[in-house]
Amino acid sequence: MNSIINDSMAFALPLFIIAIGGIYCEGSGVINLALEGLLGVGAFFGGLSFAMISTQLGTTTNSMIYLSLIFSMIGGGLFAILYALLAIRFKANQVISGVVINMLSVSLTAFLANQLNYSLFGQASNKFMLAVFPRVTVPFLNKVPVIGAFFNETYVFEYIIIAIALIMWFVLYKTPYGMSVRACGDNPQAVATAGRDVNKIRFSAVIISGIMAGIGGMCFAYSISTNFSPSIYVGYGYLAIAAYIFGNYKIGQTLLACLIFGFARTFGYLIVQALALPSTYSDLALTFPYIVTLVLLIFFSKNFTAPKGLGEVYEKSKR
Amino acid sequence: MEDYFVQLKHITKTFPGIVANDDVSIDIKKGEIYALLGENGAGKSTLMSILFGLYEPDGGQIFIKGKEVSITSPLKANKLNIGMVHQHFKLVSDQTIAENIILGAEPMKKKWGFIKSIDIDRANKEVAELSKRYNLEVNPTDIIKDIPVSTRQRVEILKMLYRNAELLIFDEPTAVLAPQEINSLLEIIKSLRDNGKTIILITHKLDEIKQVADRCAILCKGKLIDILDVKKASTQQMANLMVGREIELEEVREEVKKGKVVLEVENLSYKDKDKVSKISDVSFKIYEGEVLSIAGVSGNGQVEIADAICNMIRATSGTIKLNGKSIDHMNIRERAEAGIAYIPEDRQNVGLILDFPLYENLILKEYFREPYCSKHGILNFNEFKKQSNELIENFDIRSGKGCETTVRSMSGGNQQKAIVAREIALNSSLIIFVQPTRGLDVGAIDNIHNKINELRKQGKAILLISLELDEIMALSDTILVLYSGKVQTIEDAKNLSKNQVGEYMMGVHNNA
Ligand SMILES: Nc1ncnc2c1ncn2[C@@H]1O[C@H](COP(=O)(O)OP(=O)(O)OP(=O)(O)O)[C@@H](O)[C@H]1O
Ligand SMILES: [Mg+2]
Repeated sequence: MNSIINDSMAFALPLFIIAIGGIYCEGSGVINLALEGLLGVGAFFGGLSFAMISTQLGTTTNSMIYLSLIFSMIGGGLFAILYALLAIRFKANQVISGVVINMLSVSLTAFLANQLNYSLFGQASNKFMLAVFPRVTVPFLNKVPVIGAFFNETYVFEYIIIAIALIMWFVLYKTPYGMSVRACGDNPQAVATAGRDVNKIRFSAVIISGIMAGIGGMCFAYSISTNFSPSIYVGYGYLAIAAYIFGNYKIGQTLLACLIFGFARTFGYLIVQALALPSTYSDLALTFPYIVTLVLLIFFSKNFTAPKGLGEVYEKSKR
Repeated sequence: MEDYFVQLKHITKTFPGIVANDDVSIDIKKGEIYALLGENGAGKSTLMSILFGLYEPDGGQIFIKGKEVSITSPLKANKLNIGMVHQHFKLVSDQTIAENIILGAEPMKKKWGFIKSIDIDRANKEVAELSKRYNLEVNPTDIIKDIPVSTRQRVEILKMLYRNAELLIFDEPTAVLAPQEINSLLEIIKSLRDNGKTIILITHKLDEIKQVADRCAILCKGKLIDILDVKKASTQQMANLMVGREIELEEVREEVKKGKVVLEVENLSYKDKDKVSKISDVSFKIYEGEVLSIAGVSGNGQVEIADAICNMIRATSGTIKLNGKSIDHMNIRERAEAGIAYIPEDRQNVGLILDFPLYENLILKEYFREPYCSKHGILNFNEFKKQSNELIENFDIRSGKGCETTVRSMSGGNQQKAIVAREIALNSSLIIFVQPTRGLDVGAIDNIHNKINELRKQGKAILLISLELDEIMALSDTILVLYSGKVQTIEDAKNLSKNQVGEYMMGVHNNA
């Protein structure tokens, strides 16, 4: 039981933080299919920074792990600028540019990982090895039945994500900036006539989605494989999109969707184990969250309402 | 020297193929109500958008309180205390009234001395106070998408007042309102002036100008024609100046003999998805050569009747017959083909595809037929354009690039003319007009009224739904009054006075 909760949370929370970035971006009216690419580039930057620092120092310490997390945010954010330029500055088609960003990031990070491994570390590999992310146990709380499991041997990044998520929630719903972000997604003209700069707001929201995707990607790299490799691209970015759509672009409901996906994934593995299937069948388990997505889609599609101005390019003199 | 709030000097603005403002100079005094009058497409909205920083003029200067300014964005306009209620509202549909009003100027509070957040309680209180002070009743916590148009308009006005706007621009504010609401809006506008605000009012309704405005500038095809002192000018004089020809404000109608029954509606009822009854048990007939009007206060089920006849919404019960045959089983396209033309209320969302060129919009109901589409399913755009040019000519649709113009860029009135032209050209036996003259200038209204009379003479059956009692009184053979979805009376128009219709509309009597 404990491990079910632990594994599920370790998957659900990175997904959640990526989805929050998506809520900012799409909430401001910019379609974001680029989350997959953004999380990969974030993880690449994080992994690279970790590898470089650890070769420099010859050892690994906990503080480097946190440093790599910061680098992953920077990487995701920088790559998101590229998308923002395409989608906002050059008014390119948002669906196509999002997909292009994804394809670009897959090939670019694979290529760079190979090249850098060779030139910097003299190895022929497309992986950056990472350390194990530290885990903590919160005394007393871990004794509470059921939810206590969450406080037992938890990755520290889970707490970091929760803290960031709370801040992101506050900013989105309680500050003028957040209110403008949401308003831009509904009716950009209203924001413009109220005297704010629609394109600036959207640009920043896209960058935020890159930063959040960077964190999420890095945490996946730590928790799932303890390395960065191009196998990070297995569609978690798209799953995050599904999560915030189920969550109706609201942060609270999105958390719920992420938890469902997290538990679905863990149960998938459990089923493979329980049926004593050969380990090659674990790929089958990986399909479980996506099947859950399909089923949920069938039942709940009617209730989803995307922001009204989603995908609408803002033009000052549009009538 | 007089105390001017705004002076526009030699403003010129061109769009591809059209001069929207041609060397326009107007001065607006502090504390006056200044009306702008002009035909559809004369350049009124463009001029005001320049003043509000949405368009940049090609030439000319703007002075505010004697100082030259350049207004490059709405933000600048806000800072200069200029506010505008646009022809199409600009509100965030899923936020509350208060949130919309404070957007861009939010009151803040501090938590624990350092975390700043929006003080939504204070916002609600301030909005409630403001709304009380100016007699603009709203509930600050209602969500925009749940409130009617007239309330949305009040929100737009409050939005300007909240920012301490001193110059308030209203772009056709009365076009979306019912008659009673218009009167209260005009009262509000007057009281705003008495509170020291300066107001620019765009409207096509001459009597509204007569009622509230101090001065009135007349634009025609981008040029300033004249500036009148409203007290000294007659409405006839204003109309003539604006259209550039003599206009008959009174209309004459010939007797037309009724023919066969065209439309027969029996016991029509409709409940919306929340099971609220919108129309109940409505029955009527329309004959060839007859204009039947449905009068009623906005939102009493008129539009639902029209929508149910075209199958835009599915009637809950009842039968509809066209030319003797039941059409209940037919879908929208089949009904249109069977002989129903429809001019919908919401021209931007239902009537047009805004980003398509005019020639495609004008053939939107026939493109699948020869000659527009060959036997092999290939579209023939030359035919589209040939027919479009004819309609543009006949209905005087004005735009920058003729049939190639993107509909979105056309002025509101000309968009409406395009729909009317398309539907009349279908030559259907029943034509449904919902608010056909909303937002049109007097000249264009005159044209459409003549068209309706002509169609009646040709033996078409016409269902007219309008909020304008004058229009109903002038055009109808039969008047049906609807009140909360129920028929109050169906009478020969000759036997009803305007006042009586008004009383039925308020649900005072019930005759049915
Ligand atoms: N963004 C634009 N692009 C191209 N043409 C435009 C644009 N905005 C306005 N026009 C053109 O400029 C002319 C003036 O339009 P405007 O909207 O100012 O008219 P209006 O006087 O407000 O008319 P209405 O009474 O119908 O609202 C119209 O012919 C219109 O097609
Ligand atoms: Mg206009």
